Amino acid sequence: MRSSLGYKTKKIKIMNEFALIFRNDFHPETGYSPEKLQDIMKQWQVWMGGMAAKGQLANLGTRLGGEGKTLKPSNLVTNGPYAEIKEMITGVIVVKAGDIDGATEIAKGCPILNNGGSVEVRNIIPIGAN
Amino acid sequence: MSNLVLRDRHQPKKPKIKTMNEFVMLIRLEGLPETNFSPEEMQAGMAVWEKWVNDIIARDILVSRGNRLSNDGRTIRDGKVVTNGPFVETKEILGGYLIIRANSIDEAADIAKSAPIVGSGSIEIRGLYSGK
Repeated sequence: MRSSLGYKTKKIKIMNEFALIFRNDFHPETGYSPEKLQDIMKQWQVWMGGMAAKGQLANLGTRLGGEGKTLKPSNLVTNGPYAEIKEMITGVIVVKAGDIDGATEIAKGCPILNNGGSVEVRNIIPIGAN
Repeated sequence: MSNLVLRDRHQPKKPKIKTMNEFVMLIRLEGLPETNFSPEEMQAGMAVWEKWVNDIIARDILVSRGNRLSNDGRTIRDGKVVTNGPFVETKEILGGYLIIRANSIDEAADIAKSAPIVGSGSIEIRGLYSGK
């Protein structure tokens, strides 16, 4: 791309943010041996580190504890994480990618997929948009 | 010299800071606002939401505004895309989340009771692991 003065201008890639939501059947601490847990932690560190190095991480994300409370309409409160289905949310991170397909490719490297879990990729609505 | 703790006599004792914990509010909706409501209804709903968030900020308990999720999505299992669209949990899908501070999960649930979510849905409160 050349500007009117004839200088080459760099094409800037617009990056959008996508939430990656991790779900699994049970909370890891309850099912795995300490060795397996350590191995899984290492897999996550490698994956997160790789993304950070490539500038794909928008934030470090959150890891959710096993305790929970669920509020339904009329302020009905039940103990425990949301349990309409077998899986519960174990964490959320935000990544940067050109489009949802790019974010999906990133998500395919998530270690949770080797441990029976799933990853949901969602487009984030920027603040101020409707 | 042993373990003498020298406190500057001119400095007042530091007040004991109550340690609070961080909790995420996961907001699920039966259909996202953009599917169920007109732009005017959505704008009105967002204004009510912003007012509630500002109240949370004023009480100094907001950790993160979190994110609002759009209706596009992909669900991945076993390394491949199995669904085009958000992850469907019975009738509900994840609409967004935010992070607050509270002394206990019960207190966090009480705060969540006043959240003016747009449409029908539920809110899940989960504690966050601190540190990585």
